[in-house]
Amino acid sequence: MKERLGVAAVLALLLTKPALAHSPIMGIGGVAGGILHALLIPEHGMSLLALGLALGQLEKPERRTGILIFVAVLTGALVAAAFAVGEAMAADVLLATTGILGLLIVTLWTPTYLVWAFAAIVGLTIGLDSRPEVDSNEEVIRMLVGSGLGAAISLAIVAEVSFLLRSNALRIVARVMGSWITAIAILVLSLRIVTQMTVG
Amino acid sequence: MELRIGICHRPAPGTLSPAWIAIVLLASAFAPTHAFAHSEQGAAIDFWGGFTHPIFGPDHVIAMVAVGLWGAFLGPPAIWLLPVVFPLVMAVAGALGVLGLPLRGVETGIALSAIMLGAMVAGAVKPPLWVAALLVGAFAVFHGYAHGVELPVGADAIAFSMGFVIATGTLHLCGIAFGALSHWRAGRIAVRLAGVVIAVIGVGFLTGFA
Repeated sequence: MKERLGVAAVLALLLTKPALAHSPIMGIGGVAGGILHALLIPEHGMSLLALGLALGQLEKPERRTGILIFVAVLTGALVAAAFAVGEAMAADVLLATTGILGLLIVTLWTPTYLVWAFAAIVGLTIGLDSRPEVDSNEEVIRMLVGSGLGAAISLAIVAEVSFLLRSNALRIVARVMGSWITAIAILVLSLRIVTQMTVG
Repeated sequence: MELRIGICHRPAPGTLSPAWIAIVLLASAFAPTHAFAHSEQGAAIDFWGGFTHPIFGPDHVIAMVAVGLWGAFLGPPAIWLLPVVFPLVMAVAGALGVLGLPLRGVETGIALSAIMLGAMVAGAVKPPLWVAALLVGAFAVFHGYAHGVELPVGADAIAFSMGFVIATGTLHLCGIAFGALSHWRAGRIAVRLAGVVIAVIGVGFLTGFA
């Protein structure tokens, strides 16, 4: 039953519906809007899923340390985002990192230090890429706090749930998800490159 | 809650059970058509557009199903390895197509993939795992490239790609589900017959009859 719930939760995260890029969700602002922002941006949802699946391959102390590293770096990056620092490349780096994480999951090769490094990179890029497009500074801060909470809570849930995917049959589910994540990242990056070349 | 209608007699005459109401509501949820707000040449470039992209190409559909069928026929670890290899190679080849790099014989390669994969299933061929993975990967190049060339530039790239990859994986799962019948004698015959049908359709694509 727990395993079924786990698979359902991970699939639900994978199937998050796309939100308009970095615009506040109509009618929902503040911390709640920030939490939804973190969950409904497909790039963020997919990277959290990938990192959670990778962290789920680690033992409990290493997994929790990885989550703490993510939260610490994410917090710093959100502060930087409040000052509109470093947003330019964050989305592309996040996608590339997610693609590599997907490959690690496919091969089930998840060395602790490497996963921790990816936790830091994902935390940094999600934080920098989370600045909402609103005018009020107070609203920006409230939404960034919400984004941080949403990202941290979802990562913790996915990591703990994906720990359940360590049975042989469900590891296959993780591998398949990893391959899908990498495939999506490759396609999106190539589409973005061509779009940038075309649009200029 | 019970709705009274004239034609239903279960669980009590003239009533509709909660299970039926749930089914109707679920069906209604799937019923709405999608708005083509972000569209290019009439094709939606959102999640749904990506999801339907491989499904509306019969030459792709039969090959993806054949990958799943063959994987199921070969058993573990091929049952998951082949559907993992295919999207990875397909995405790389798709990126080449998106970037506009040239590749010859794409349509021939796609038709050959149906013929070869169908023949493998029909003949119950069990090569070494690496040979099967190599063969599936090689054919994924043609499918991925063909999709990549057709992918619309701009718009909601990640939603489109998500739909696209998930649809491909779902087609593999359909093949695996049908291929699971090969555990039984009659099912094994049915799966091999499906392989024959796929190969014949592939010949149709190659010769231009399909």
